[in-house]
Amino acid sequence: MDDLLKQFLVEGHELVQQASEDLLALERSPGDADLIDSAFRSIHTLKGSVGLFDLGPMSEALHAAEDLLGALRDGSLQQTHPRIDALLASVSQSERWLEALERVGELPSDAVAVGAQLTRQLRAELAGATAQTGAAASAVDTAWVAAFMARQDVRTDSPVVAVRYRPDSQSYFNGDDPLAVVRGVPRLIALEVEAPPADPVNYDAFTCTLAFHLISDAPVDAVRAALRFVADQAEIVPVEPAAAQRPNAGARSLRVDAARIDQLVDLVDELVVAKNGLALVTGVAQAGAEMAEVVARLRETQASIDRIAGGLHRGVMAVRMTPLGPVMRRLPRLVREAAASLGKTVDLSIEGHEVEADKAIADGVFEPLLHILRNAVDHGVEASHARVRAGKPARATVVLRARQRADRVVIEVSDDGRGFDPTAIRAAAARKGLMSDEALSGLDDAQALELIFLPGFSTADGVSDLSGRGVGMDAVRAAVGRMGGQVSLSGAPGVGATVALSLPSTMVMSRIVLVRAGGERFGVAIDDLIETVQVAGDCIVPVRHGRAFVLRDRTIPLLDLADLLGLAGGEDAEGHRKVLIVGSRGEPIGVAVGSIDERLEVALRPLSGLLARAPGVLGTTMMGDGQVLMVLNLTELIG
Amino acid sequence: MTVSKDGDRVALVGDCHVEEAETLFGVMAEVREVDLTHCRHMHGAVLQVLLSCRPKIVGAPDDPFLAKWVNPTLAALT
Repeated sequence: MDDLLKQFLVEGHELVQQASEDLLALERSPGDADLIDSAFRSIHTLKGSVGLFDLGPMSEALHAAEDLLGALRDGSLQQTHPRIDALLASVSQSERWLEALERVGELPSDAVAVGAQLTRQLRAELAGATAQTGAAASAVDTAWVAAFMARQDVRTDSPVVAVRYRPDSQSYFNGDDPLAVVRGVPRLIALEVEAPPADPVNYDAFTCTLAFHLISDAPVDAVRAALRFVADQAEIVPVEPAAAQRPNAGARSLRVDAARIDQLVDLVDELVVAKNGLALVTGVAQAGAEMAEVVARLRETQASIDRIAGGLHRGVMAVRMTPLGPVMRRLPRLVREAAASLGKTVDLSIEGHEVEADKAIADGVFEPLLHILRNAVDHGVEASHARVRAGKPARATVVLRARQRADRVVIEVSDDGRGFDPTAIRAAAARKGLMSDEALSGLDDAQALELIFLPGFSTADGVSDLSGRGVGMDAVRAAVGRMGGQVSLSGAPGVGATVALSLPSTMVMSRIVLVRAGGERFGVAIDDLIETVQVAGDCIVPVRHGRAFVLRDRTIPLLDLADLLGLAGGEDAEGHRKVLIVGSRGEPIGVAVGSIDERLEVALRPLSGLLARAPGVLGTTMMGDGQVLMVLNLTELIG
Repeated sequence: MTVSKDGDRVALVGDCHVEEAETLFGVMAEVREVDLTHCRHMHGAVLQVLLSCRPKIVGAPDDPFLAKWVNPTLAALT
């Protein structure tokens, strides 16, 4: 990618971000001249940069947005909701285009049509007219594609086609059978269909209220052909495969405070001095000095190299530390879109912009947070009338709060919605057949909450446009777990819910303990362990297919690490067994190992390439003797 | 007749056409379960009644399209 484009992408995201923040703030304080000014400047600058590249549709849309903002600024037009919506739509679209540029280096194939529609809408607002509504206006809106793909967890290596088919309300009269149309679409890989709940009194069986979302991996022309008779009711969007890999793709560049680089430079200077110190020692040794003196001087040099190496490590870590603010600031607009699509009003307040975390953590936390926020808006926050009935303000409040706690970053999402209801959660789990009734009734409330993390769980009664099926808290837990973090839930029914993520603020230094299993050496993250115990062989009793032992009046299931890893050589059951107690889903579980050796602080490298998704492995580290050590994620291994 | 009612259960059999949507909606208040085992195709309007009224679905349709794409959605609603 050429340098100019790279620079443009970095700036572009910031400008889009700034404009979007200003526009959202304008909604709260309409007509604020400073905000209009700031939004205008961002859009103006962005438009100028866009002009350097061959990005016609984007340039035209931004030009129209700039003109509209200009009219708001000089007072010739009043600020209205549709005008802010049109501006936000252009900002959102610009962001999607920037992402496409980052991924594939060009605008998507529908950019001309989408851009023209945006421009029309903005120009219509500028002319004081209301923009066309209905099908035309929704042509701009392709946000549903991403939401639908995420909901269905569609990951694909080849292009697919996403379709939103909303049959005309009169289509039954016109002789259409929407389900037969959908049946005719070749090579379906996902389908969602919904209809609003029936009103028992006024139900009209002949007014079509169906809506379909579907994905096909057939060529787009084949999908178009299948839908040719309902072309005016179906939006057909080709989706490039790279879309699924976006989180890792962009934003690998880092902006660093110059002072931090200066510190590193100072340390490197010191390192050079220390290195010269070594030459001095060599000279002294060659001159036939006493061994004791040589050793003393070596010690001195070693001490200073130690100090400098530590400083360098901290310095490099500090360079990678980035405030969470930019990531968190992308969320309000997305929450607003989510709430609007559900007809809810939600205020998102953000605290802790300044809290810093490793770049990889800051980037990696975006998707899980977005997911949790969408869940909060969709499942947590009640409809306005239900809120009023419950004596709450109609506008819901969601708080996103980041805090530094020792060497970890804690990010909480709290809403004032209906909270987690353990009874409803048990009932939903029973309905979905995730657990037997007896097992469910044996769970206390805290354990019932944990059911939310089971794959396939969702308490939603219906499938909404937003976070119905396919998106699970299991995915959130897995993503956070990969960064060495944990997810916890709290809250009271009726009052609200809090989802807290606890993440290491630096990804790189981890405390591990060395263990042996099946004759091999592994690392285990100390954060995973509750304690380590020694259990006498005769205290281990077989329980059905497994084994268990009693620890402080509690029966704890016992697994063998060698078995978990598929290694030969489960240790002998006679003597004492060394057991790691792991907290898995709130339940302690024992994992027997051959031996428990020393504790270390290591630089953990996440797995990459083919191994990136290997389950149960946190990463690797290089040992002092040059061997590579695998560090295990016990919770995932057991899961 | 492809919508047949037996006690508190209703069965959809064969091809269910658009006019059956109203019949089905009419009996929806009295039935608890809908059996789709022998349903070959249901018109969109019939599907809409099931989506809107959310009865309990019993039986997996023989028809592969309904079994794969429609039944899970209906089952998830109840």
